[in-house]
Amino acid sequence: MATTTTANHAEKAEIFCRDETRVDWHSKALWLLRQKRDRAASSLPEWEQLRELGSEYKLHTLSHLGEYLEQFEANCVKQGIQVHWAKNGEEHNRIVHEILSKHQVKKLVKSKSMLTEECHLNPYLEQHGIEVIDTDLGERIIQLNKQPPSHIVVPAIHLKKEEVGELFHEKIGTEKGASDPTYLTRAARQHLREQFLSADAAMTGVNMAIADQGAIVVCTNEGNADMGGNLPGLTLHSMGIDKMVPNMEAASVLLRTLARNAIGQPITTYSSFYHGPKPGGEMHIIIVDNGRTKALQDELLAESLKCIRCGGCINTCPVYRRSGGYSYNYFIPGPIGIAVGAQQDDTNTTAWACTLCGSCTYVCPTKVPLDKIISYQRRLKAEQGKLPYGKERYMPMVGKMMGSTTMFNCAMSVARFSLRYLPHSMLKPFSGAWGKYRELPKAPKTSFETWYNQNRSK
Amino acid sequence: MSSKSDILAALGSVALAKHPMPQVEIAPRLDDLIGQFEASLKAVGGTLVKEDAMSALQAKVAELVGEGQQVISQVADVTGNRETPEDPHALRDINYAVIDGEFAVAENGAVWVTEQGAGIRIAPFICENLLLVVRADSIVANMHQALKQVDLQSTGYGVFISGPSKTADIEQALVIGAHGACTLTVYLV
Repeated sequence: MATTTTANHAEKAEIFCRDETRVDWHSKALWLLRQKRDRAASSLPEWEQLRELGSEYKLHTLSHLGEYLEQFEANCVKQGIQVHWAKNGEEHNRIVHEILSKHQVKKLVKSKSMLTEECHLNPYLEQHGIEVIDTDLGERIIQLNKQPPSHIVVPAIHLKKEEVGELFHEKIGTEKGASDPTYLTRAARQHLREQFLSADAAMTGVNMAIADQGAIVVCTNEGNADMGGNLPGLTLHSMGIDKMVPNMEAASVLLRTLARNAIGQPITTYSSFYHGPKPGGEMHIIIVDNGRTKALQDELLAESLKCIRCGGCINTCPVYRRSGGYSYNYFIPGPIGIAVGAQQDDTNTTAWACTLCGSCTYVCPTKVPLDKIISYQRRLKAEQGKLPYGKERYMPMVGKMMGSTTMFNCAMSVARFSLRYLPHSMLKPFSGAWGKYRELPKAPKTSFETWYNQNRSK
Repeated sequence: MSSKSDILAALGSVALAKHPMPQVEIAPRLDDLIGQFEASLKAVGGTLVKEDAMSALQAKVAELVGEGQQVISQVADVTGNRETPEDPHALRDINYAVIDGEFAVAENGAVWVTEQGAGIRIAPFICENLLLVVRADSIVANMHQALKQVDLQSTGYGVFISGPSKTADIEQALVIGAHGACTLTVYLV
């Protein structure tokens, strides 16, 4: 993956920010989701209790994960479900391909699964001659547009309806110039219905896997997971080891918070419990590690695995809303993307695509300490000697300067003097990226310390 | 087997302290369950029929069959014009499916439907319009109570259905009718 041409977060954000109207629109669309989330959350007096329970259930499960995975597998096998284990993305893809080729599958319909994005399953299967159709409307749009998702819940949020209209005209034959969302959605319904009816197998992600039942829960609004999963005889479900919950009570907590926190709905339209193959069919579950057990070896990074992928942190993030989903150098953007993906960012910049405002942590339904993890990711980068260019040079100097009272006071006097008497055009270059879209501040006459000693110390 | 044992071995040294299993101790909101359910169902785009619902449903289905609509019914005393097929693809032209829900949830308008109730798993999704029958005294307050009622050991597949299928994937504009049913009516009997 490492290429020398990979642009860093700020460079990619700059591309997104060229169209100011679009940035404003993007930011507002996501903020609307945050507002809907706030209304849904505040309608439940027990909301904070549910967040605490969500966190506790996840911590309990993650700290007993081996036992629960084994219990889950045993219960699945009892129900006639075939369970596979994959250490990484490659093994996952190989298992999926083996199952599909055994059944001579030519066409696979897939509902949303960030895990299969993580494993790069689509290109792998396509190389092996299997057609993969993403069936979530947003995912289908970006698949036709040959783009990755720009958000984990609303993957085509970066596109305007006119662009979708143009794309659909070209790819599925809608009328030229038509951009009405209802018209376009109906056209996609017709187009995808043909795909559902002609698919040889279906694949879904997993929202929760219930250990003591041997069941998986899949949540969608569109019904695409169930249209796929209930037509062909063969179904596959991929899950990260972090999707485990112990029992139905734990599932009830997460089902109450997931959709409310994602989009402000009390629950998704469909919450399906798959507990065995359909008569005469086959059901496979692929359990994937791909770096998760490694994260669990670190007390703080382990908490990122509490995430239930609602996308609430992304919607509220002031940086994501104004830099877009393609600026993070990882397939998951926003705060959670930094928390789980910063170590794979070879530009070493996404850990700084964050103001540490903490809004993400505040809205998280399982209390993932996102801001702490992001700050920790910066520390890890520093310890690995991978601070981005510039920071590596000036941060140690800033540290020394701020650590010494004399040097700090001296530097501040120079700064106050310069801001008052020198032309700002001359000083601006020193403020770096910060000064690009900002005016320099007005300097006070004295330091706070001097002011305090004169006015308050007696 | 080796990947499984590798993963389990790695899980032997998790850095998290052992956390105890929590308990849900949340008092359910029990006032006016029917009213709560009706409001929730309306908010998610569904319709409720509660006056003389069984006769209303029978009259509706008779009318639909008379119009030549394709109706599959799994509900006793409601007669459609299609049989339950073995191959789910055979239901591609179904206009209406009539299905018993086991119970409903006040807080979110959801109805629990199992494969036994649906006759065949695809039925509630492939139909253009879904008609669900639910007993008025079966409504529970919230998902904690709901999942206590669910007996997965007796079914291979069950689903909470809350309203008709929907999407907002194009510019956040809500469109009712994505891949599943385009309308949902709940008959409360």
